[in-house]
Amino acid sequence: MAKAVVIGAGLAGLTAAIRLGEVGFNVTLLAAGYGGLPLSPGTVDVFGYAPKQVADPLQAASEAPPPHPYAVIGAERLRSGLEWIANSLGPEFLVGAIDRNWLLPTAAGALRPTCLAPPSMAAGQGQVDAVIGFAQLKDFPAALVAGNLGARPVILDFPARDAEAECSSVVYARAFDDPGFRERFAAAARPLLRPGERVALPAVLGSRDTHPVREVSGLLQAEVFEVATVPPSVPGLRLNAALLARARAAGVRMVNGSRAVGFSVDKDRISAVEVAAAGSPEFLRADAFVLATGGFESQGLVMDSHGVISEPLFGLPVAAPQAAAFAADFWADHPLLRAGVRVDSELRPVDADAGPVHSNLRAVGGVIGGANRIRELSGDGIAIGSAWAAAESLRRMK
Amino acid sequence: MTELVGHDFARASLDHCLKCTICETQCPVAAVTPLFPGPKYVGPQAERFRAGLSVDASVDYCSSCGTCTLVCPQGVQIAELNSQARAAMKAKHMPPRDRLISQTTLMGAVMTPFAPLANWALGNRPIRTVVEHTFGIHRDAPMPPAQSQSFMGWWKRRPQVQPDAPRGQVVFFHGCAGGYFEVETSKCAVEVLEFLGYEVIVPEQGCCGLAMQSNGLYRSAGAAVVKLSQSLLHGDLPIISASGSCTGMLKHEAREIMGVADEAVAEAGRRIRDIMQFLRDLLEAGELPLNFAPINKRLLYHAPCQLKSQGMGMPALDVLQLIPGLEVDESGVPCCGIAGTYGLKREKYQIAQAVGKSLFDQAKTHDLVVCDTETCRWQIRKSAGVRVEHPIMAVHQGYGLSEPGALIG
Repeated sequence: MAKAVVIGAGLAGLTAAIRLGEVGFNVTLLAAGYGGLPLSPGTVDVFGYAPKQVADPLQAASEAPPPHPYAVIGAERLRSGLEWIANSLGPEFLVGAIDRNWLLPTAAGALRPTCLAPPSMAAGQGQVDAVIGFAQLKDFPAALVAGNLGARPVILDFPARDAEAECSSVVYARAFDDPGFRERFAAAARPLLRPGERVALPAVLGSRDTHPVREVSGLLQAEVFEVATVPPSVPGLRLNAALLARARAAGVRMVNGSRAVGFSVDKDRISAVEVAAAGSPEFLRADAFVLATGGFESQGLVMDSHGVISEPLFGLPVAAPQAAAFAADFWADHPLLRAGVRVDSELRPVDADAGPVHSNLRAVGGVIGGANRIRELSGDGIAIGSAWAAAESLRRMK
Repeated sequence: MTELVGHDFARASLDHCLKCTICETQCPVAAVTPLFPGPKYVGPQAERFRAGLSVDASVDYCSSCGTCTLVCPQGVQIAELNSQARAAMKAKHMPPRDRLISQTTLMGAVMTPFAPLANWALGNRPIRTVVEHTFGIHRDAPMPPAQSQSFMGWWKRRPQVQPDAPRGQVVFFHGCAGGYFEVETSKCAVEVLEFLGYEVIVPEQGCCGLAMQSNGLYRSAGAAVVKLSQSLLHGDLPIISASGSCTGMLKHEAREIMGVADEAVAEAGRRIRDIMQFLRDLLEAGELPLNFAPINKRLLYHAPCQLKSQGMGMPALDVLQLIPGLEVDESGVPCCGIAGTYGLKREKYQIAQAVGKSLFDQAKTHDLVVCDTETCRWQIRKSAGVRVEHPIMAVHQGYGLSEPGALIG
């Protein structure tokens, strides 16, 4: 059985590992820690701004010029990857059409374009009548959300646990797992709502899945939907847990808590990565390697005090901005954020002559340069599209 | 605190904290009690306000399971910082109870000769109630049954056969619990190593000091781990242990929590392999015999927190899947709750039970649970009422070294 090692457990690493497991690789997923999903709204953002607000994310991706990662991945592989993840997770986790963005409210009450969303959040498209908040949950400012959406704020003095004056979304989500808590909540909220109203709640209705949303809707006789809070984000945690479960089901071995710190090569191939396990190093040998370490936010890319940008594990060539790294205006498009490795159509990192650096290495997700994922809201699509494309490429190689 | 080298290392990681909250979402203690405000709060956040002393006693509710460090994407040594802060906080007024329960070798040495009496006393509710009121050890806390023969007694008395050892020698580190309480595990480990063609050397050895470390008794723990390391170094032989948490003490805690800067400890830490990790190494090198007899069972594997902290994955799973007929479910639970001695303490017993609850529920639907560390096995046995053994016992049976059904149910 061919072996693959995936380095990094964010959306790109998890989806690459699952897909490689499904197509018959013996996969080891190496993770120095969790990826960014627990901080994310649990949606799949494909293309939100290019730079104008995007209605059809697949169309926008197909028009992205090189060196944008979408120009390498291509619309067909992006579509295949997105359809695969949507089918794999099912409509309990993600709903939407690949060629149409939702416009869903955020924790600031702004409307944000996204491609696939949990059904409990997708129901938030359109008119909002009331926004429920909790005095004890500072991570969801209901008055601000309601003000921006033109809705009515309903703020409950309703602690999640004992008499805690304040807690995080996760504590509320665990409380909502309990049917008794849901009933007490509904009894407190129902007198403040009118039947049939469309009601926004912070996304805390259940820590594992969103079946409490339907139940709370029934209890409140209202159309209830969730709005992601600032981190920790419960929909992101649900998505992370669902992907980890699918990785286990696909036979993926997990090596957590250790960083890859070195590698060995055999001619044009990488033969092993060295892992800084406690005590003495472990060596993970494999036929194929997938780099999914992300960008600056997760140290997949680093910049030293002289402004030199590098990819610290394999020392891959990094395409960095020619001019100033930062724009003068904080909100502007900083060239630095487009730094990253360049890949060929097989997702192999390439050198300055566009030749592959190692024949059995693929790069996926945020370590690939050419996009400003934050401004574009394109990071999830790049992660899934590149993971799918890399897995297909390795499958052919096998 | 400032004299601790380990503390300087851990403190240097503090500025990498982005306050992302991932550790807080995964902390098994904060999930079940409001008494612990979470690893970020008492760790990277509170650490900035500490000049040696703690401003907040809630850090004492950290169980030191290490889940926070494991999930941190930025490499912050959260659990290490919290262990150090607790040690500093307790230094001036260490509860006598915490000194007592750290004396693991003493406990075994005293109980073994009087095993029936000791076991009667441990099972006697009035006595346990008095112990709870006097010492603060919860009356229902799991305690290991004393064995009438220690591993060392067995090792000295077993018939000496000229070893046929084509693969050379290895040093076996049994640990206190493997010496006095989990004696069968140690015997199985030795017999598997001999079956594979190793000559096993068992030097005189003491305690690794882990229980003292986790209770903040760094001075005595440091002395213990140095002495132990010296006794385990023989030529350049590898050191093998079936005691998952004591292995972690040598690999990681001694240096990175207590800052023990001793060459023998560093060398022992490099050489030591958990027995399942050692078997996996052989597998990777194509040197592990694969002619396992089938074991038609479905078992639950729980990877202890202190094994996960070693960052080597789950070698027991990699090895157990080689045994035909054996179905292994992985618990996916971060911690069983006991965290060494945490779950024994009167004020933390209920928290530890709540932490382990989903594991105990899973355990009840399996015939057998396997787990690599002793205190976790005691916790799961007591709390779920099921048989819990070390994974080496399945290997032992798979190689035909024990009768089918003799060791693993």
